[in-house]
Amino acid sequence: MFKNISYFWLTLALLVAEIFILDQLSIAMWLRPMLFQLIVILLPMEWRTIWVLVVSLVVGVVMDVSLGGAGLYTATLLPLAVVRRTVMYLTTRRSVEPGDQSPLLTRMSQRQLMIYVGAMIFVHHLLFFWLETMSMVSLWHLVATIIMSTLLSVVIAWPIVRLFLSKIVR
Amino acid sequence: MHRLVEFIKRIYVLVVFLLLEVGALWSYATSSSYAEAKILSRTTAVGGAVSGVITDVGHFFSLPEVNRRLTARVAELNEELESAEALLYASGLDTTAMAMFEDSNHHFRYHPARVVSMTTNRKKNIIVLDRGTIDGVARDMGVITPDNELVGYVVSCSEHYAVVMPMLNIDFSTGGRIVENDHVCVIRWTGESRFEVEAVELSIYSEPKRGMEVEVRSERLPSGITVGTIEEYELNSAKSAYTATLRIAADMATLDNVLIVENTHYGEIEELIKQVEN
Repeated sequence: MFKNISYFWLTLALLVAEIFILDQLSIAMWLRPMLFQLIVILLPMEWRTIWVLVVSLVVGVVMDVSLGGAGLYTATLLPLAVVRRTVMYLTTRRSVEPGDQSPLLTRMSQRQLMIYVGAMIFVHHLLFFWLETMSMVSLWHLVATIIMSTLLSVVIAWPIVRLFLSKIVR
Repeated sequence: MHRLVEFIKRIYVLVVFLLLEVGALWSYATSSSYAEAKILSRTTAVGGAVSGVITDVGHFFSLPEVNRRLTARVAELNEELESAEALLYASGLDTTAMAMFEDSNHHFRYHPARVVSMTTNRKKNIIVLDRGTIDGVARDMGVITPDNELVGYVVSCSEHYAVVMPMLNIDFSTGGRIVENDHVCVIRWTGESRFEVEAVELSIYSEPKRGMEVEVRSERLPSGITVGTIEEYELNSAKSAYTATLRIAADMATLDNVLIVENTHYGEIEELIKQVEN
């Protein structure tokens, strides 16, 4: 119960940070960090995919309504719910086993965790920025936006991930 | 039954995901005209590529017939060109008249194209052609059959494909004129028969008759492009103009090879019109 409440507060905090701080930031056209996808990335890997989909839908709709995304945020968040176990396995060779006693995310090494979080943020940013422009005309601008925004998002997200998994969930 | 339940249990997450994803994308696609146009262009490119592979097989078996028709058309055009040139020089027209003759025929370019897919059973039908921006095709170009019959206008282009709004689309509208007496009209489709379009706003002095031919009158196409022939006509309720029903000249259901017509002066004309409108 305590852990589930932790996820609720994390969701709330990330949504507030995204809507009121990060979305208001205007650093550069090609530098747009985002954190709200962490809500889906950090959900327990042991959860059934259907519940992760439900959370993704709710978070996506809240973002779309708050920031006028008209479906863009939902459309880019839902695939994360479906691919996260595959991304986890492909990047770290870790998967949920039936006899596990503690959450998988808390048992991963820092390196594995960073690779998984980085890969998931990259997948999200790839979908988001491509769907936003849907054009290959400014391909280099699109590639630069995806790479630079992913890097900055990972840098901002990493302390939150470490704090949440080591101090709150563990 | 047990197997069916097991199967549904296995795929229901994927089905739920696909439904939610399609819903979100649909919402995004219809949120702005930019997103709508971009997604239409992408789906056209993908759908066009798939349809292209399927129709290529069919085209392979119809190549002899296509070659025959194209060869006949080339020969016909060569003959027309030669006789026109001979006539021009023999008649000894002055240089101004010759310049006018040349000018009126040299600002239209023709791009041959093939129909990849098309619809004829909807209110807003479209045709996808296998030529796109990479081939020099652009929005607003006219599309005709090799027999100089109107098909429609290009409304959207991707790199390799073009979407045409044919006459059989309720949003279609273009200018027309009766060949016999030069009276102008507006051509549009009512959405009822795929063999007929309507010519409206015909002057009460135009004296339409059954069998009269109607051509396109538009800056996007040269003269001599047939729309169809008058089948029926009647005065409107205010008795201020005629409305005629035209039998479409082109066989829209069996379109295959078409010509995309580019007016190289179109940009200039459009610019002028914009200036006047502003």
